[in-house]
Amino acid sequence: MSSSSDFNIDQSDIEKLNDKDKTELRQFFANEEQRARIQSQTHELTSICWKKCVASGGTLRSGALDKSEQTCLANCVDRFMDANLATLKRLATMRDQ
Amino acid sequence: MDSDAVKKAIIRQALQTTNSVNARTLMENINRKCFERCVPKPGSSLSSSEETCLTQCMEKYMAAWNQVNLTYIRRIQQEVGNQAI
Repeated sequence: MSSSSDFNIDQSDIEKLNDKDKTELRQFFANEEQRARIQSQTHELTSICWKKCVASGGTLRSGALDKSEQTCLANCVDRFMDANLATLKRLATMRDQ
Repeated sequence: MDSDAVKKAIIRQALQTTNSVNARTLMENINRKCFERCVPKPGSSLSSSEETCLTQCMEKYMAAWNQVNLTYIRRIQQEVGNQAI
């Protein structure tokens, strides 16, 4: 992907970081981790919901989503989350018994 | 390099990595889903209708990804809001 020449950070460079920049980097990586997690979950959900909302049926007609596909995808994500939460809830009651 | 330059180099590299992983995953999924969808019976070459289908499928998959991403983020924000009450 990127050439290694534009990134030659070594231990001695890391030691140059002052406290303010270290704090800033920690915050940056916390955000970046969350962004990566959301993207990865989006890939998973798109794969699941594509199957339910777009993959069935005849021709694709166009490269854009039509209204019913759009609604189906949004419902698919929300119901997936509902199902997820319901499972967690049920597990919690089983543990309490 | 001073502290600021080191910080910026680290951030740039991290963003590049996350973005390229994301793009690669998207491409892999598009290839898999659209091949499944558009080339049910592989012949000796891709027909023009298969190629049209692949193009539309790719555009549609990206639109679906964006729609799912938007809905998912909205839902997470909603759940976080519920917990905060």
